[in-house]
Amino acid sequence: MKAFLTGLAAFVATFLIAHFVVLNALPGKIMSTVRGKMMDTGIAPHSWTMSARITPETQSVVRPSPDLAYAICLIDLSDGPVEITVPSWPEYGSLSIFEADTNNVYAGSLDARAEGTPGTRRVVVAMKGQDISGAAGAETVTVKKPEALALVRRLAPTQASYEAAAALIPASSCAPL
Amino acid sequence: MILSLLAGGILGIAAGAASAFYAAGIIGSGASFGDQIDVNSWKSDWTIGSAAANPWTRARVARHGLLALTKDEAVYFTTATDSDGARLKDDCTYEVSGGEMPGLWWSVTLYDGESYLPRNKDNALSFDKTKAAASGAPDAWSFVIAADGPETGNWVSSKAGGAFDLTLRIYKPDLALIEDPEGVLPAPTVKRLACKGAAS
Repeated sequence: MKAFLTGLAAFVATFLIAHFVVLNALPGKIMSTVRGKMMDTGIAPHSWTMSARITPETQSVVRPSPDLAYAICLIDLSDGPVEITVPSWPEYGSLSIFEADTNNVYAGSLDARAEGTPGTRRVVVAMKGQDISGAAGAETVTVKKPEALALVRRLAPTQASYEAAAALIPASSCAPL
Repeated sequence: MILSLLAGGILGIAAGAASAFYAAGIIGSGASFGDQIDVNSWKSDWTIGSAAANPWTRARVARHGLLALTKDEAVYFTTATDSDGARLKDDCTYEVSGGEMPGLWWSVTLYDGESYLPRNKDNALSFDKTKAAASGAPDAWSFVIAADGPETGNWVSSKAGGAFDLTLRIYKPDLALIEDPEGVLPAPTVKRLACKGAAS
């Protein structure tokens, strides 16, 4: 009986530990895997890459919206903060920043119709303690780990609007501050 | 005694890890981002994307809705059942109907059990505010979900969707929706029209 209770106690204790360790590790692992796959396809950190127009053949991340045009920048803050600039859009649009654990820590409107949306949105992403003295005038976003991800969404349900969104990539930047 | 300790510990680690994978939706049932909010079986969770999400919600969102925005920017409602509570599947046809949504822009998109767009070439992946407006009835729109599309009318293809679900996205949601989703969301109705092999 004592041996059974000992085994049961060991089961309960290790069950709880394993459950929460794995559960808490999964988001970061999934994010890291997606990041790795993106890099395998040639997406380099600190450059905006336009995703192909979303179709069943081109989707690379779960639950993409086929009505949106996506652009992505992989951020690595190991050597310091990164500055992002993105032009506005005449329809719904957003610039968002995600931490390595998947949390969405920033979302700024790119919708030119919305009050307060600048012609070009400028955001500096940094880790706590990094020098952001060069960020004057920019919005600042602090993340916990060096790996982060910036994502632009623009409402673009037609091929023509997708191409118009893609044409804004050269006017966008994502580079060390 | 040591053997019991060891056996219990090994079994506990295995079961704990497996239960975490199940809770995240990596093994077992498909997407369900939380049941904090349930409006006529359209489910959501206002902590999606945020640091406030509990570990189960965060893991499930990572698996089935990676890169989801927080509620101030966009809200996501998902349903996997029709209005009678039956599981949505690609051998049935449905009519989805609704009204004006409380936000800047909205869409309804169909995803398969793995949370991807179904692998078909029908080019009928979603229904959105733009199509509702084009239909001439933005306040009383409807579309059909079927594996084979109608020759006319609004259609979202379920071909190769298997047991699918629907995600309603509302971008720049009205504050009233955030404060009172059950009272404000005009949840779209998903009416089952017919199923293959069933008497009509």
